[in-house]
Amino acid sequence: MQWTKTDINQYKEVTEYVDTLLVPLLPISFQMDSKIEKIVFQGELVKIFANELEKRFKGRILLTPVFTYLSDEEISQEAKRLNKWVDYAKENPFTHIFFLTFDSKWKKCEQELNGNLLWFPSIQSGDLQSDQIRALIKDQVNEVMDLIRSYW
Amino acid sequence: MSEKRNQVSRRQFLNYTLTGVGGFMAAGMLAPMVRFAIDPVLQPQGKGEFTAVAQVDEITSEPQRVDWTIDQVDAWYESEVTKSAWVYKQEDGSIVALSPVCKHLGCVVAWAGNDDYPDQFFCPCHDGRYYKDGENVPGTPPNAALDRFQQRIEDGTLYLGKAIPREEA
Ligand code: FES
Repeated sequence: MQWTKTDINQYKEVTEYVDTLLVPLLPISFQMDSKIEKIVFQGELVKIFANELEKRFKGRILLTPVFTYLSDEEISQEAKRLNKWVDYAKENPFTHIFFLTFDSKWKKCEQELNGNLLWFPSIQSGDLQSDQIRALIKDQVNEVMDLIRSYW
Repeated sequence: MSEKRNQVSRRQFLNYTLTGVGGFMAAGMLAPMVRFAIDPVLQPQGKGEFTAVAQVDEITSEPQRVDWTIDQVDAWYESEVTKSAWVYKQEDGSIVALSPVCKHLGCVVAWAGNDDYPDQFFCPCHDGRYYKDGENVPGTPPNAALDRFQQRIEDGTLYLGKAIPREEA
């Protein structure tokens, strides 16, 4: 389910079927330095992955809006804020919480998170419209789907 | 207990394949892009709402997945969306093209998606199942048959249009 009026209205009726919460994690920065391109690209990519996963698992996953944070913020601080989201979300019957990110910083505080971290290296740059990269992303989406299903 | 263990090791395995990106990415590069290679000359000319998706002689009696893209325009965005269908040939040579969208809550179903039901469509979300003709298996969550795509065949090419719910088809 997407974070849209139509989907949330449907979600309200069937919360017992939607037991999985998916939260994309995305750093932002306003320093126009060498890192900015990578950060912005991560943003495009994480949205593509999240949408693709939601599309395939629409009836069982609720996709939240992106959790954003400043890229040079202390990550353990952000972990606390993220856990708070999860605490609130748990008002609903979620049994599986997944965080989707391409920011490796989260790997360091994986243990502190109240959910499963889906972090894996993906492409760093490239033309997201090209057939080759699309095929590659599709493959990776399939792998992530298998991984999510292994938790269900 | 051992069931549990299996789960965990499977998870680990999947995690490794995902993180061990080197070999995996290379493999991805070599994988064929689409199952059906469509003559590029045929591709751009969508017949109205119809799009060329496959060559009829490549379609088998075993359902295969075809993907294509259409331009979708709503009030705010114009976007390219990917559509998919499961297509197969019936004994009389006619073609069935089913929508993969589960009629329960909208997940994407797969042919033989569960080893225990090799000749049914399976929905990974709540174990919904459909027979080969798209009818929902009673006792599983979906309460309607999979939608069927409008189809047209011209010069040996299959064109698909909109997905239509079964009652209206
Ligand atoms: S969405 Fe397919 S069985 Fe629930």
